[in-house]
Amino acid sequence: MSRPLMPLLFQEERRPMSSFSLESARPSCDKIDSMDYKVSTALKKNMWAYIVGPAFKIIEAVFDLLIPLFMKAVLDLSFSSDPRTIDPISKALGNFIALFGQWVPGNEKLSYALVGGFIILLMGIVGLGTTMVCQYIAALAATRSGTDLRDALYRKILTLDKKTIEAFGQGKTQTILNSDSFQVQQGVLFFIRLGIRAPFIILGSLVFSFILDWHIGLVFLGIVPIILLIVFKVMRKASRQYLVIQGKLDSLSSMASDNLDGARVVRAFSTQDIERERFSTATADYRKEAIHVSKINALINPLTFAIVSLATILVVLLGGFDMSNGVMFLGAPLQPSTIITLVSYLSQIFQTLVLLTNLVTIFTKSIVSWKRCDELFGLKPSIVESPDAKTKKIAVGEEIFSFDNVSLSYAEGGNAALSDISFSLRKGETLGIIGGTGSGKTTLIRLLERLLDRTSGTIRYKGIDIKDYSIHALHSEIAYVPQKSVLFKGTIRSNLQMSKKDSSDEEIQKALRLSCAFDFVNAYEDKIDHEVEEGGKNFSGGQRQRLCIARGLIRKPEVLILDDATSALDLLTDRQVRHNIASALPASTKILVSQRVSTIKDSDIILVLEGGHVIGKGRHEELLKSCPVYLETYQSQMQKGE
Amino acid sequence: MTIKNSLLRYIGSQRKLIVLSFVSVFVFLLANLSLPLLVGRSLNAIGSIAADGTFVLAIDFRLLTIYLVVALVLSVLGVLFDFVFEYAIGILTQRIVKDIRDDVFSKICSVPIKAIDERKHGDMLQLEIQDVENIANGLFSVFKQLVQGVLSILITIVLMFTVNWIMALGIIVLSPLSLFVSKFVATFSHRHFKSQSALMSDLNALSLESIANLETLQTLQYEERSLADFARRDESLRKEGKVAQFSASWTNPTTRFVNNTIYCVIGIAGIVMILYTPSYPILGMSLGSLTSFLSYTNEYTKPFNEISSVAAEFETARFSFGRIVDFLAGEDDVDDGSTLLEKAPTEISFEDISFSYEPGQKLIEHFSQRIRKGEKVAIVGPTGAGKTTLINLLMRFYDPTKGRIAFDGIDSRAIPKKELRKYFGMVLQDTWIFQGTILENVRYASPTSSDEEVKRACIEAHADSFIQTLPHGYETVVSAKSGLSEGERQLLTIARVLLRKPEIVILDEATSNVDTRTERLITDAFDRVMSGKTSIVIAHRLSTIQEADVILVLKDGNVIEKGRHAELMARHGFYYDLYTSQFR
Repeated sequence: MSRPLMPLLFQEERRPMSSFSLESARPSCDKIDSMDYKVSTALKKNMWAYIVGPAFKIIEAVFDLLIPLFMKAVLDLSFSSDPRTIDPISKALGNFIALFGQWVPGNEKLSYALVGGFIILLMGIVGLGTTMVCQYIAALAATRSGTDLRDALYRKILTLDKKTIEAFGQGKTQTILNSDSFQVQQGVLFFIRLGIRAPFIILGSLVFSFILDWHIGLVFLGIVPIILLIVFKVMRKASRQYLVIQGKLDSLSSMASDNLDGARVVRAFSTQDIERERFSTATADYRKEAIHVSKINALINPLTFAIVSLATILVVLLGGFDMSNGVMFLGAPLQPSTIITLVSYLSQIFQTLVLLTNLVTIFTKSIVSWKRCDELFGLKPSIVESPDAKTKKIAVGEEIFSFDNVSLSYAEGGNAALSDISFSLRKGETLGIIGGTGSGKTTLIRLLERLLDRTSGTIRYKGIDIKDYSIHALHSEIAYVPQKSVLFKGTIRSNLQMSKKDSSDEEIQKALRLSCAFDFVNAYEDKIDHEVEEGGKNFSGGQRQRLCIARGLIRKPEVLILDDATSALDLLTDRQVRHNIASALPASTKILVSQRVSTIKDSDIILVLEGGHVIGKGRHEELLKSCPVYLETYQSQMQKGE
Repeated sequence: MTIKNSLLRYIGSQRKLIVLSFVSVFVFLLANLSLPLLVGRSLNAIGSIAADGTFVLAIDFRLLTIYLVVALVLSVLGVLFDFVFEYAIGILTQRIVKDIRDDVFSKICSVPIKAIDERKHGDMLQLEIQDVENIANGLFSVFKQLVQGVLSILITIVLMFTVNWIMALGIIVLSPLSLFVSKFVATFSHRHFKSQSALMSDLNALSLESIANLETLQTLQYEERSLADFARRDESLRKEGKVAQFSASWTNPTTRFVNNTIYCVIGIAGIVMILYTPSYPILGMSLGSLTSFLSYTNEYTKPFNEISSVAAEFETARFSFGRIVDFLAGEDDVDDGSTLLEKAPTEISFEDISFSYEPGQKLIEHFSQRIRKGEKVAIVGPTGAGKTTLINLLMRFYDPTKGRIAFDGIDSRAIPKKELRKYFGMVLQDTWIFQGTILENVRYASPTSSDEEVKRACIEAHADSFIQTLPHGYETVVSAKSGLSEGERQLLTIARVLLRKPEIVILDEATSNVDTRTERLITDAFDRVMSGKTSIVIAHRLSTIQEADVILVLKDGNVIEKGRHAELMARHGFYYDLYTSQFR
């Protein structure tokens, strides 16, 4: 068991990584989806392990069952004066022991004891070896299944759209990927390790007890269901209680988190004492539930122990009676050695039962997780690629987007988020969208990107129904900078390269210059290799927005959408960025969404949205005359009287 | 206070329970561990080995019955006291844990804002939740495994010596073997589990990021690369996981192997001793004693394994407790003023203030400004100019390094914070909504106001219309993560302050996420409520501050321009640029 040997002994073949390599052809989205993967797909791959693993384990289990019998044989052979009192099992084992020869010449009894002990030790060593083989197979198969499952789950998630995931639950998706997949893996692990062994030991011990003294066998048979019943009942009660506790802990956590986030408000209003009291009430509540669960748990040990003690007393008592009455089993009178052996079996049954109940808990959890994983695999994305998806190139001045009476409601029969939207936009033009909170601006953008599908009406992209346009092509032609800037853990370079693979340093620097991010990025010692922390939290809001804009610009998109993407920039910088974009991408279609009139007022077409309706459409000057809301918004943002 | 002393302080407050658990664990162990002894005696009452080395049946039913009845009584005692013990330590643990948790929370409420700003919230939340849970697990294990285990070992040793001293010595020498083996396995697998869990959180972070930003990923067409990244990390997790699982799975079989070996050695040695007892009576071994010993081997080894299996738990708990003790030992917010203001201040003056968050990094330098009651003061300037810092100083979240802020001539440091802050109402850009109903959230700062007053404040804050559309109106439970939009949350916090009707209101980008029309209406509402009172407004959008009595233009911590809107516009300086840029 020396440590350096480990990696040598258990080195395994490398799994081919080529299927994930960057060079491999990109499977289209529908191909991923049509894989029709299920949890069983991952599990079936290691079918051999479910048979070979337990087979090795059974060898050890058989030895575990034989050891008490060998001990009994040695006892019988050593202490019986009359060979007729020795039962056939002990005789057979005695003959087996005799095969090893006589180690202590002249002292047959001592020799039996020593050889018997040697055989028992040998069985232990061989058992340990075969068990290890099984444990290794279990670890190998389980981690393989788990990894395959997780990869497939992640692949599946990537094909789903936001709406589907939100309906399913984002937290649930996350838990399935990170926790349920491990639970399934754990199930595989323990199935191979103990799934067969535990019932085998219990059954085997029962069978031997019946053979040795069926009176006592009946006692054993009786305690098995009683112990199982007690443990399961208590465990079920406790696990329900654990859910309650988990809920209480979650609410403690959100209270503490509220308090931290609102530290300034709490102090400003001097409500510390109220907060302390609220929290103390909550912890008292938690304590009550936690004590309740420890009371339930405190029952398991005493109750099971009571059963085992009672059984031991019964074994001795029944054994005493049977011996004094000279009851015969296997054609020989009962010996005290049998009682010693039966006490061994009793403790083996007891230990295995405890293991078995743990095992059942693990399996129950695994099966629940299995179902949850399959639930995720069964999700159908609501945005699907058309079977004959098209792409098309168009020239500047041709129509790129047209909306004809488009409506959308998120929930069936629910209120429309957008109603009867109609407009048309030509390549190279700029579209401005303005509206208050909740007016439907972002929803409209998500329709353009086909992150949503309309409920009614038609949307054409380059003259083709957007549903028939290749999603892949659509996404590569449009660059979308969302309102909430999203950066990923990595570096500035890796974030920009997300948009355009293998973009050069020059390209990156140029994009940064256009988005007015050049100065702050190059002020870092490591420039574009500067680290981006999770969510880009090491950058200010304005810096994040500028990096996201650079990420959009780097691919020189046909359509650039800025969804309130400059809201955190000061007005001077905002203007500069817009100016840069206009001169760098003259042929691109620009779609600007904002609450600021100044941002969109130079657009070729401006849509004024309110409550999901277009209440004004046209150029700035026209809207000032025709759309009162636009005029009012404009005036409220203007100097009075100007 | 050292870790040990703090722990003793927490435990010390539960003396009665401690005594009860110790008494009950002692009784329960004594009763349970006597059983193997009695079983052995009973066997001896059935028969014994004669001088010729053969077994002779001679049942003494009276003795057998006595032994078994005593065993029965002891079992019942053991069961009862075992329950009392486990229940008592459960209560004990939970009581101590509640005290610790409340202390941590209380400390969070009393540390300086600086401590909260500088430390990651997740880290402090960890203290409050996971660290305390770790302590709970550790404490329970200390009582259950350590106390019970050590006592159990001691009692077993004593009982074994009463049966047969030679055998007892043998077991004491042999048993730690299994401890040694399981310790070795645990150390080895622990290392792999640690790196497995690091890889796991690595994977979690990746998927958390991409699931939350799935649309961005998809529009960037990053799916395949993300998948490759995921698969690569998943593969390293698999490799590490396999070694971890495999090495952990050594524990049971090796322990079983060692125990089987000991069982075999004790059994065979016992048989040999029985064989020679007639010739050498000093060996004093009988079949019954052998049976007792076969059980005691188990009882003696078990606690060793159990204690070593929870060693990691102890370690984690100790580490967590250390973190908590450190946190509790941190300094409290300085609040030693005692002068009361008695009425709302008529003048607030910043007198030659200098301040920076980090020594050596200049932020605010020699700032002076007088604010009179009833004025509306606006602070504008680019990000990082120090606008919010001025608010931090005014509210005494931080104290200036030089200079002083005076309320009617009294140094603000001489006034208790609670007294000072009661005149203020504050709305920040980062809204704060806690888990509770809308009603509770708005009423937070003015607990005595009626439902009617709350509603009126919400109407004034233009929050009423969206509240009406919520499923339960004002009774809807909201939380930091609930579906309210940022703008809606701002309206609620505005209602909160409008309800309080403070003497001085601070609006720090309070309407940044509200559309411009609503913003206008809210500004009007504030102007109405605050007429004759003082307001301090920080804004990005300049349209809302044109009527301010004085506008301070801040850049790099200094006031570069100061005056009314018209004056500043006439100057054609920084403010003019800032202002006109929104129309160009």
